[in-house]
Amino acid sequence: MNKVAIIGVGHTKFGRLKEKNLMDLLCEASLEAIADSNTGDKDFDSVYVGAMSPGVFNHATGVASALVDRISLIPSAADHIKNGPASGGSAIKAGFQAIASGMADLVLVVGGEKMTHITTPGFITSNVATITHPQAERPHGVSLPSFAGLLTRAYLNKYNAKLEWISDIAIKNHKNGALNPNAHFQKTISDFMESAINKGRGKWNSVDEYLKDDKSNPIIADPLRLFHICPISDGAAAVVLCNADIAKNYYDTPILISGVGQATDTHIVHEREDITVLNALRICSDKAYKMAKKGPNDIDVAELHDAFEILEAVESEDIGFFKKGEGARAAHEGQTEIGGKIPINPSGGLKARGHPLGATGVAQVVELAYQLRCEGGKRQVDGANTGITCNFGGFGNNIISILVERMV
Amino acid sequence: MRGKAKIEGNKCNTCGFIQHASHLRCLRCKNDTFSRVIASDTCTLLSFTLLKAPPMEFRDQKSYTLGIVEFENGMKALGQINTQDNLKIGMRLKPIYKKICDNLDNNEVYAHVFEPIE
Repeated sequence: MNKVAIIGVGHTKFGRLKEKNLMDLLCEASLEAIADSNTGDKDFDSVYVGAMSPGVFNHATGVASALVDRISLIPSAADHIKNGPASGGSAIKAGFQAIASGMADLVLVVGGEKMTHITTPGFITSNVATITHPQAERPHGVSLPSFAGLLTRAYLNKYNAKLEWISDIAIKNHKNGALNPNAHFQKTISDFMESAINKGRGKWNSVDEYLKDDKSNPIIADPLRLFHICPISDGAAAVVLCNADIAKNYYDTPILISGVGQATDTHIVHEREDITVLNALRICSDKAYKMAKKGPNDIDVAELHDAFEILEAVESEDIGFFKKGEGARAAHEGQTEIGGKIPINPSGGLKARGHPLGATGVAQVVELAYQLRCEGGKRQVDGANTGITCNFGGFGNNIISILVERMV
Repeated sequence: MRGKAKIEGNKCNTCGFIQHASHLRCLRCKNDTFSRVIASDTCTLLSFTLLKAPPMEFRDQKSYTLGIVEFENGMKALGQINTQDNLKIGMRLKPIYKKICDNLDNNEVYAHVFEPIE
């Protein structure tokens, strides 16, 4: 199997980007990654575009074919990869496989989504909910936030954890996002509170009080409130992948993708033996660790899929950083902050960087590349040599982990 | 129309694992023959959430409660709970059958809903 290196990265600003459509975003991230890779006018063998629902959100199909035309990569192969909120991770896996197998030497992977123009109440919730089981769950009115609410209550009850610890994850991710110039929210929760006070929307004596107020932080799927849930965002991120044997021809400090794992779990969420266990993550991260000949103790920094803040706690356990039931407490104790035992989501995670569905899995890998290249700026994790991601599709029923390390 | 609901499952003829009807092969042993089983009249609440941001199909409702329950034979089910008050993990519920919404084609949707046992 050929070794696969990352030689270029690109990342648009995430957020409510009124002036840009999906193709603008995909092109911007792609061209930035190509420029970063120093590949000049080289031809690419393959292009993979990860996007969950451009057909529904943007009346656009054939986005991969359209992209290669727009940025002049014809006659490169081009595929659109769809795997719900894990479309980005799946697209990187496809690019990895193309190079590892010897079918390709130079590959562009870009993930993106454009969603904030949709204003119909419940439309995005309903569309995302179409990934849930059509007989056993969807007719009862489930949505992804409702699964997160069910998971949170079961977790707090089983492990004697506190909701405040889950809120601490949101506080930490907003603190990191404030240091990321590409994040959707470059504000701490304290900044949100101060701004609300200045606008005369209320008065709170502490962030804790602000987060417990039904007006400033309404319940969405109890016990989860607004600040426990990621925003709807626009954005794109891209990586240029290359056969590692020739990577240094283009880039002095390439990053190696040394492990990739993917696994599935029951489509019917309530059929799982224990809703608080993400079995697909246990299996896919184990595959990634084994491929890279590494373990959880070798990881210096992680980008996990906190679409709901409870997920970061549960994922930090099932990916092997903490014992089962101790992830939320570890976050509360500061072990996952930049400078902590295992920094998680220095980018701000989905909560603060934002979650343009198909972009997320690629953006996670781009953030790890910044960290491993020591380009993390104010959010740089010291001694970041090895990192891992968790990109979560469906409600934990299709998960991808990608392990990266500095190439020696 | 409102009445007592019977929750049915498929019991694998080889390993005995009970699962939903949608699986064509057993999730545990991949065998493909099953017998219908009817779950107990009562069940235990495993978790619940009050959803205040419903999907479009439930546009007429501001909020509703969803729960996951377990029956005596180990089978689990998900459904709405007909109250938002005094719910607790571990409490006993019973399934009833009632209309829960009009779907986007304006057809009435009926389903099992759980109700606390007095």
